[in-house]
Amino acid sequence: MRKFTLKWPLITTASLLATFIFLVPLYGATLFSFKGNGGKGHSWVNYQWLIHADGFYPSLFTSLKLAVLAAALNLLLMVPTMVYLNLKGQRFKSLVDFLCILPLIIPVVSLAIGAQVAMPKFLQNTQYELVFFFVIIALPYTYRALDTSLQTVALKTLVEASRSLGASWTRTIIRVIVPAIRSGITGALFLTFALSIGEYTITSLLHWETFPTWTVVAAQQNILGAIAISVFSFVGAIALLSAIALFSKRGSQRVEVEE
Amino acid sequence: MLPLLPFFIFTAFFLIWPVIAVTLRSFKGNKNEWTLANYRPILHKGPYFHAFVTSLKLSITTAVIGSILGAFFAYIIVKYARGKFGAVIDSISAVFANSGGVPLAFMFVAAFGTEGIVTKLLKDFGWDIYAGHFTIFSFTGVVLVYSFFQVPLMVLVFKPAIAGLRHEWEEASINLGASPFTYWRRVGIPLLVPSFVGAFFLLFAGGFSAYATARALTVGTVPLVPIIIGTLVDGNVISDQANLGDALAVGMILVATVAMAGYIWAGRRAARWRQS
Repeated sequence: MRKFTLKWPLITTASLLATFIFLVPLYGATLFSFKGNGGKGHSWVNYQWLIHADGFYPSLFTSLKLAVLAAALNLLLMVPTMVYLNLKGQRFKSLVDFLCILPLIIPVVSLAIGAQVAMPKFLQNTQYELVFFFVIIALPYTYRALDTSLQTVALKTLVEASRSLGASWTRTIIRVIVPAIRSGITGALFLTFALSIGEYTITSLLHWETFPTWTVVAAQQNILGAIAISVFSFVGAIALLSAIALFSKRGSQRVEVEE
Repeated sequence: MLPLLPFFIFTAFFLIWPVIAVTLRSFKGNKNEWTLANYRPILHKGPYFHAFVTSLKLSITTAVIGSILGAFFAYIIVKYARGKFGAVIDSISAVFANSGGVPLAFMFVAAFGTEGIVTKLLKDFGWDIYAGHFTIFSFTGVVLVYSFFQVPLMVLVFKPAIAGLRHEWEEASINLGASPFTYWRRVGIPLLVPSFVGAFFLLFAGGFSAYATARALTVGTVPLVPIIIGTLVDGNVISDQANLGDALAVGMILVATVAMAGYIWAGRRAARWRQS
């Protein structure tokens, strides 16, 4: 009976705390972003400033482009790697696991400094160098997402069936394995995309302009506009990550049905 | 082995090589000679030593707050939020835990800045949070902002540990005459300690390395190691030692490595009872 007396006070405390830590800043920022000129009234003026501001579209476009490339490269690199690991390369698994955890251990700031020292000049001269580092930063999450979904399918059986029916390796991966681990792939794809589009540290230390770094510069001219950008980015992130959750749920249900 | 080659080449070039390169250069002086001089300012009292102390203080404080509050939330969620609602809370936690960065900083300015919504609201209730030393751009301000991602990160990491406590264990100890208090003191809490410690290390490492939020929020008013590295890289601060930033970066790697070793060690201890 003790539990009954404790339950509601505990839930109330938790809800109040959560409101204070999470909802209040969100609510505050949203309210602020609709303030009118000189802080009076409510209007769309900050959002209008945002879409007309110098550099809004170019930086957003750069970020989108780099994020799409990073997500694509990530899959191209990691899907064959993870399939091989789970199929034949078991003895390399702990090594790959360790390499994929490293980006969590090595502070991104340190990696950025290292990149400045180590990367050849031709790479440092193009913004596309960021794509490679976005892939590195996403490795811990990609590894987890792909590994989890590969372990839920009968990989060996699928591959043997496909190969004995005469399919090549490339065809087996694209037509058999990829559909079977769709949930893991969408998860890895969206996570890499989300991480890349919000990446600030490496981008600013390597002196490139993407949407997040542009935001910081723009904030110095118009703080209300910067808050509007933040609300815009945050809502975008929530939409994106909810999409991941939705997709991966649906995908995993499919796999269960197929088995 | 052959199909793994692209992966090994990629990580060797874009992950391992930069770390080796920065480590090597941190031992080079202005005239390219081998030296330990770059590390001296970190070990002796001064602005760089102070930056490490501030960074450590910040990451320990936010890890303490994050892990305690997060563990509390995780317990409530496991106990009372099941089914659909639990799944919704899971994805919200994932969003918030990954929400560090620039937008977060500006959102908190809107809420807790001098003109912020919360600041004004609290003033109406007679509490002026700006009466004392507090500003959102100070150490305390950064702690507040970091909680926004540290708490949900703790929820994500620690929830499985609480969910893994088997109901049978509680029943067994109560059948043996234990009160709920005794159960928690003798069974529940000892079982959760390794996971808690592990999660604490993870939060510590995250808080220590975080750059974007603090950079956008404080613009250098709180001297943190990553921020100082940033100003050295941008050339805003000129040091007579060209490779000082490299030594700071290596120092950060060392601290983070110790924290992650703690995380992995605690994770192994926690796994001991979970698999049986």
